[in-house]
Amino acid sequence: MSTLAQYALLLGLAVGSAGAALALYGLARAVGRERREPGKDVPATAGRLSPKPVWVRYHARYYGYALLFLAFDMEMAFMYPWAVVYRHEGLVALLDMGVFLAILFLGLLYGWSRGALRRQ
Amino acid sequence: MTTVAVLAALLAGAYAVAVLEAWARTGRMRPGGPLFAAAALIGRESFVPRKPDRLFFEAAPVLLLVAAVLAAAVLPWAPGLVIVDLATGALFVNAAFAYVLVALIMAGWGPDGAYAMVGGWRFLGQLIGYSMLIVMPITAVAMRAESLVTTVIVDSQAGVWNIVYQPLGFVLFFIAAMALAFLPPFDLPTAPGELAGGVEAEYAGRRLAVLRLARALLVVAVALATTVFYLGGWRGPWLPPWAWTGLKTLAVAAAMFALGGRLPRVREAHFLAWCWKLGIPLALLNIFVVGLLVLAVP
Amino acid sequence: MIHGARRGAWSGLRRLTARAQAQMLAAIVVPGPEVAAALGLDLAGAGLLPAASPRHASVLVVAGALPAQLREAAAVLYAQMMRPRAVMALGAGTLAPLPGADVVAELSQPALLDAVRRLRRAIAGGAFRRDAAGFDAPVLRSRTEYVCPMHPEVVRDEPGSCPKCGMTLVPREAQDEGGHAPDAVDASTGMEMEAGRGGGESAYTCPMHPEVVRDEPGSCPKCGMTLVPREAQDEGGHAPDAVDASTGMEMEAGRGGGESAYTCPMHPEVVRDEPGSCPKCGMTLVPRAAAAKDAPEAGHAADAASEAAGGRHAPMDPSGAEHSAAAHTGMDHGAMDHVAGHSTFMSMVAVTRDLPRSPDGLPMDWIEVPFGPLFPGLPGGLSLVLTLDGDTVAGAAAQAPVAAAAAAVADAGGRGLPAAEFARRLGAMDPLAPVAYRLLARRALECAAGVEPDSRGARARAGAAERERLASHLAWLAVFLGRLGLEVHARRSWGLAASMRGADAARIAGLAAAVRVLVRGVRRTPLLETRLAGIGRLAADGRLRGPVARAAGVAADGRVGDPVYGALGFEPVTRPDGDARARLAVRLDEIEQSLRLVRAAGVLDDSGVPGIGAASGTGEALVETPRGGARLAVSVERGRVTAARLDTPSTVLLERIGSLVAQCELGDALTAVASLDLSPWEVVA
Repeated sequence: MSTLAQYALLLGLAVGSAGAALALYGLARAVGRERREPGKDVPATAGRLSPKPVWVRYHARYYGYALLFLAFDMEMAFMYPWAVVYRHEGLVALLDMGVFLAILFLGLLYGWSRGALRRQ
Repeated sequence: MTTVAVLAALLAGAYAVAVLEAWARTGRMRPGGPLFAAAALIGRESFVPRKPDRLFFEAAPVLLLVAAVLAAAVLPWAPGLVIVDLATGALFVNAAFAYVLVALIMAGWGPDGAYAMVGGWRFLGQLIGYSMLIVMPITAVAMRAESLVTTVIVDSQAGVWNIVYQPLGFVLFFIAAMALAFLPPFDLPTAPGELAGGVEAEYAGRRLAVLRLARALLVVAVALATTVFYLGGWRGPWLPPWAWTGLKTLAVAAAMFALGGRLPRVREAHFLAWCWKLGIPLALLNIFVVGLLVLAVP
Repeated sequence: MIHGARRGAWSGLRRLTARAQAQMLAAIVVPGPEVAAALGLDLAGAGLLPAASPRHASVLVVAGALPAQLREAAAVLYAQMMRPRAVMALGAGTLAPLPGADVVAELSQPALLDAVRRLRRAIAGGAFRRDAAGFDAPVLRSRTEYVCPMHPEVVRDEPGSCPKCGMTLVPREAQDEGGHAPDAVDASTGMEMEAGRGGGESAYTCPMHPEVVRDEPGSCPKCGMTLVPREAQDEGGHAPDAVDASTGMEMEAGRGGGESAYTCPMHPEVVRDEPGSCPKCGMTLVPRAAAAKDAPEAGHAADAASEAAGGRHAPMDPSGAEHSAAAHTGMDHGAMDHVAGHSTFMSMVAVTRDLPRSPDGLPMDWIEVPFGPLFPGLPGGLSLVLTLDGDTVAGAAAQAPVAAAAAAVADAGGRGLPAAEFARRLGAMDPLAPVAYRLLARRALECAAGVEPDSRGARARAGAAERERLASHLAWLAVFLGRLGLEVHARRSWGLAASMRGADAARIAGLAAAVRVLVRGVRRTPLLETRLAGIGRLAADGRLRGPVARAAGVAADGRVGDPVYGALGFEPVTRPDGDARARLAVRLDEIEQSLRLVRAAGVLDDSGVPGIGAASGTGEALVETPRGGARLAVSVERGRVTAARLDTPSTVLLERIGSLVAQCELGDALTAVASLDLSPWEVVA
């Protein structure tokens, strides 16, 4: 199968799965429709009606980790093709990538020492 | 034809996983459980919360389903029994699993409810922890196989399975796979005792049915990935190849569920600290060791 | 027939789903599973799975009589359940405002099993009905009021126009009353954000909608964001104090004359004559003075800022609910001139200037989230409202709406209560520890009357108190472990807790092995220690009692001086750390200790009323309830109790919740509160 056909099949699979979910929805619609009642559509909060919106700027505490994650994620994008040709290239490849990883690892250690790797 | 067969196998696997999960949670084995649950959920109302982000709320269960199906589509059950034998299979698996995060963030933001929102953002914290531990072991597996094609990865385990060749990678991948499928003890987004259902709390009826189906398929996909990457895929004596894959997948899923009920839920700060201070150095060590082994062993 | 049926006629498909639903019953227990276990019910054993959220539940189980506030909370939960839904009442009295119970039974395990059978039949046969009635209750209504965006003092109950400026009134939901409970016991640290402000001429505006101006803090009627203060400008002037020098944008706020034009804050080139939505991004158009000189400046400055901000992100959600960083850069407000002459430019620094800062220095938005009264991981009846800064708790307000009013226990009109009736009432106050409180009443009355307790009866009563301690600790353990995600042990603990009630010594001896296995399993759970270490540290002080105090190293136990316990060979158990791990360890040790004491006591008998005849006097007594020492002082006149003063351990614990959870992560905060083993029923108001 050509690559284009493969991706087309995957796209078809994605659309098909969504279609299956919609078919389930349709089946449930055949059973009955929802009934609007007071208080039913307020998000459940343990016995107290709390209709206030919660779409606020969320204070995530892991942003130190997130920054380092970006760096490592970019590195992993380089490592995939490297892994495929690794054995063919031999020791040189190991040393090349080793230097790259060592630099990043030093970055990780630096971040660790400066307190980036904790709950802020 | 292979597509239909593999999809049937996936659905059967999802059914078995649902039975296993119910057994681990309630201690009772009900073979008809998922059918009853599905029929019951179809018959219940499913409400949209007031002033939701409608697109996110509706898209989240469907996106989770699509992500699980796409990830499983590139994983082989037997030589030739794979929906799409992609040239970049291992990379595609990773990419598809990334959409689990998108789906859960959507499910958290959509209903405009407090518990769901906290659950969604906590899962992002979890992802920052486990994501590298998925990618780095896969890289080491690809180093041994010299290819990203999943069938070639299984073939490369002809002599020795990867679980023996790179046990450190297996342990890290197994833990990260549980975190990806938000199984206990990594169930921060849907913590039943802490967030009263979290991201699942506002889903009911048919939407919850799709969400639960997607979750079961995700567990199957994750277990299948573990099998293909580390347990030799379809390799084994006497039984036909697809039977071996199925057995190994179910064994991995059962192990995941067994661990879940016996460990307390992780704290997000601890999980991130362990992943970044211990997990990533170990994963880098794993790559280095596998690099040496690959060169040393012909 | 169930009240909460879906509307529809019977058909094959509906019958199928109804039968499937009858098999998969998920239940929410009110007031809480620990109360149900204290009453002897094992719900999992009866086939009712616990539901995490009311949306996943199909039956609401009411165990025991509920006070009015909990009935309202239960009505809210019921309203949030999806149809078809049913109510099962076990030994409950009136259920208003809930609809009538679909299945009624008494409080015993066999009655529960039978009730579940009847419920399954009812659901299978009655899940769909043609004439299902709706459910409404006053507690579910949130008022919609209409306010003028320009004049916030104008509030009406129907839509219309503002009498002062003619603008259409904007609807908004009235705030939930429970959000700021007037007699909250403790509202700690970050709540000063609202108290410290205000006075004088501070005006509060919405960063997204600068035309919304108020005199006090609150929420924007259009998008719900918290209003931030800024200096009020005098009419007609323009003092852009809030200019951020780095972006270098200064926008005049000219007073609008002549025609009113409406423009989009994001696209200043879009100008309309009446309010509506921007055709490009969907945002609500805001009025601005169509001064010619402003337009090119506004456009130019907006373009400059748009380059500075890196271009447009996704179009704004028309409801204004998206609060991405781009929304707060000055450029969004650059083109908007406020008709009342206030400065419209607000940089990020200015917008967040007066917001309270978190310990890492960032000012972010806080939300108030209720965690009770019927939250699955916390004691039922404890109403906790946490102010969350991300997933960190910035403030807490804890209340016990089911608290015992001390006076209600004693006097019934001046003449006092007969002693037996007083003891009965005190025992009924706390469903989690009735035996201990009856014992407390008896001892206080006997002390007041000068009657000597008989030693055999005292020994039997001590044994019954220890049995209750066993049941209480096992139920707490089940809730706590379920909260932590240890399902296997939690399940076993529930079963054991429910079978303790009313069990005699022989039966308890039979269960002892299972209890010991459970305790050993919990102690050996990997990673549990690190999971709990350091959470909820409470230093010992004179007012703490019970396992919480003993976990902090204070060997205070009401049973120490008691000769009955001395004969049974009792020693208090203590741990030094004072955190959740220590409390778990103390309670596990006390479970094993209670097993030994029960075996030593032999007979467990709590029956019998205190007979004090027509004596008079005052007396005091102390009894170690499962949560700590409770003290009661009574005055008796001719056999009737005329005054009583009660002091319970949970009252102190409730006050400590605020400081306990400050700046904790949410999961840790809930673990800390759960580790206190607070009983909201025995809090003395």
